[in-house]
Amino acid sequence: MEFDGDALTIDLSMSMEEIKEFEAFVRPRIDYIECIEVEEGGMLKSSALLALLASLKKTRRELVIPFLEKGITVSPTYGTIHWICHD
Amino acid sequence: MTKQEQVKAIFIEEAGEIIEKLDVDILRFEENSTDFDLLNEIFRGVHTLKGNANAFGFTRLGEFVHHFEDVLDYYRSTKEVIETAQLELIVNSVDVIKEVMVCELDALPDLPNDYEECLEGIKSLIASKKRGSVESIPVEATATFADLASEFGLDCPDQYENDMTQSIEIMRAAYQEGMQIYRIELTLDTDSYKRGFDHLIFIGLLAEKAVSIESFFNLESVPPLDNFSCEENYQNKMGIVLLTTQSRAEVEENFEFLFDHEYSIQPMEPVSQPSVTVEAVEATVESPVAMETPKAVQTPSAAAKPSPGSDISSLSNGAKSTIRIDTFKLDELFDSVGELVIAQNFIAQNEKIRLIEDESISRTIETLSKITKRIQDRVMSLRMVAIRDTFDKMKRVVRDTSKKTGKELHLNVMGEETEIDKTMIDSLSDPMIHIIRNAIDHGLEADAAERISVGKKVEGNITLRAYHKSGSIVISVSDDGRGINKAKVLQKAIERGIITGDENLTDSQIFGLIMQPGFSTADTISDLSGRGVGLDVVKTSIEKLRGKIEIESKEGEGTTISMVLPLTLAIIDGMLVEASGEIYIIPTLSVVESFRPEQEIVHALKEKGEFVSLRGQHLPIIRLSDVFSLKAERIEPWEGILVCVETEAGRIAIMVDELVGRQQVVIKPLGKSLAKLKEISGGAILGSGDIALILNVDALRPVIEGTHA
Repeated sequence: MEFDGDALTIDLSMSMEEIKEFEAFVRPRIDYIECIEVEEGGMLKSSALLALLASLKKTRRELVIPFLEKGITVSPTYGTIHWICHD
Repeated sequence: MTKQEQVKAIFIEEAGEIIEKLDVDILRFEENSTDFDLLNEIFRGVHTLKGNANAFGFTRLGEFVHHFEDVLDYYRSTKEVIETAQLELIVNSVDVIKEVMVCELDALPDLPNDYEECLEGIKSLIASKKRGSVESIPVEATATFADLASEFGLDCPDQYENDMTQSIEIMRAAYQEGMQIYRIELTLDTDSYKRGFDHLIFIGLLAEKAVSIESFFNLESVPPLDNFSCEENYQNKMGIVLLTTQSRAEVEENFEFLFDHEYSIQPMEPVSQPSVTVEAVEATVESPVAMETPKAVQTPSAAAKPSPGSDISSLSNGAKSTIRIDTFKLDELFDSVGELVIAQNFIAQNEKIRLIEDESISRTIETLSKITKRIQDRVMSLRMVAIRDTFDKMKRVVRDTSKKTGKELHLNVMGEETEIDKTMIDSLSDPMIHIIRNAIDHGLEADAAERISVGKKVEGNITLRAYHKSGSIVISVSDDGRGINKAKVLQKAIERGIITGDENLTDSQIFGLIMQPGFSTADTISDLSGRGVGLDVVKTSIEKLRGKIEIESKEGEGTTISMVLPLTLAIIDGMLVEASGEIYIIPTLSVVESFRPEQEIVHALKEKGEFVSLRGQHLPIIRLSDVFSLKAERIEPWEGILVCVETEAGRIAIMVDELVGRQQVVIKPLGKSLAKLKEISGGAILGSGDIALILNVDALRPVIEGTHA
């Protein structure tokens, strides 16, 4: 996880423990994070991360999360995963 | 082609169909922008397109469509009246989608010029709308609506169901013997993460043995941070569509540690079930989960049980079902039926069989003949599609050309139900687009003032018409404009060296000059037409389909350009003629008349060959015996029969010994050696089993040798 100015870059391959840390980190900073980017090459490990990103977007609509907005990810381990998330 | 490539090809085909439909629907919506049912339909198409685009890495298309979908979603949900400028943006977006699709398919690095501008327009529109809606709805009310929707599970049910259904169809396309398709739903409890169960664990386990797998999360019920904890599962339902070689029991093993109510596995039929309207299902079945295969649902889930007395098969009675078939397979089937017709004709015309005087044999042959004809007709009909879709596409062309030229016009469409060979439909769009643009740009008067000055209404008329005529299909484009100025056409043709000016041309031949390469009477070149490169291409395209162009025009009243096409590309209506003991087939579409000439009207000119004078026209006589170097006793033209045919270079008279008859024949390709003969376009097997060659009349030229008085 890297925080550069107002953009946060995260790794998709977070375990549940790491997701909890991420949640704890982002909660008090939600108002001044502009964008959450995802590092290239990572792979989702838990659906909880998807839920957390969706929750962040619902909390602050201006927050830009390109990965969430794509609505789809493809991996050799899980096949194609789609999600519906209208903010 | 690998399985994945096959699935991708299906995706691309579907995407093309969606975009085509979008193009038509958006125009209908423009005419009536309060038709929210239509907007819903457009939204569903766009949504499917987004999924397809992203699934196959067409990210640029995916991104554009994603934002476009947001705009459509906004208007369909709010039912807000769409202002003209925004409607224009929506219509333009469809154009961009079409262009981006081409860029994606051809892997072009550059995007269309309008891409960025249009995308920004869409983004700003949706941002402004969202700002507006957030400002206008109190926060409390928003929260209440969200909670209620969540409680009743109403969040995007359509989209989730649509996605799952779409995915099942994709799996069906990839299905092979020995595989199974399952629709799996996980309804994990809130504490599932704490119990060590994550959706992705199950997806991963299933993926290990999957041929293909797609999963769908609905994140609509995830609450904002205030009520959120990442240790709790808020995704009360997620779906998996699985294509695997595993049995149901093997699939179920993956879920053995879950509670029974936390999952359901539903085997799906490998082929689509007849479509059933939602209303019909709701009326008789309690659970939508039971729609596909109620008997196969074994997981003890109350929701999955069909209601008493619900019989899906009874619902499907009378419902239409369709399957997608590779046209190559249809061609093969058609070819086989052609062989069957030949074999049946052979039996019916065989002299030895005819000599058997047995009533039962005669009856059987007659029955065989009827059945064969029926099969032939039915197989033929498989290739035939209504021209409606092509005409619908033309509505857009008319609209855009009308806007570009600033001419007010009304489009009349007639004969949309006329059916035409699918192979031809694909090749007809471009010629039609060009003729329509030409009709609006040059056919109609320059402006309203010019129309009023000649006593016409301001609004011009363009008529698209399809109909059957003498065993052919005619598609015509008419305008009520200026008509073709024959003097101007002749003058231009002489300037361009197309004619010398000495020719005695009929009206039809003069009009035909506008189809010559490089010909254009337009004083100015527009981006629509008038470059002189279009109408000759139209002519060539139609001739490739074994059709021809006919032009009728009356100055001051308008012009009609008709494309006369054969019913199908695989069968030709031909006139059978005999020359020097050989049978040849002349396409009936080219035949004008046949006659035995009087000796007085036949002339021979040194080094120019033989001619026949027919109503003031001198037609070159083509002896098939000369063209094909047939050994035969040379007879005079007045001893034989002349068949007058229309060719690219004007009319000619083909000399034959006898007219055998008229027959529909199945066209067979020729071998490599005969294919070099430009005078022959194909072959056909006759009922007698004999082979006849089909003449390419455009390539027939007189062979100048001896002279005859």
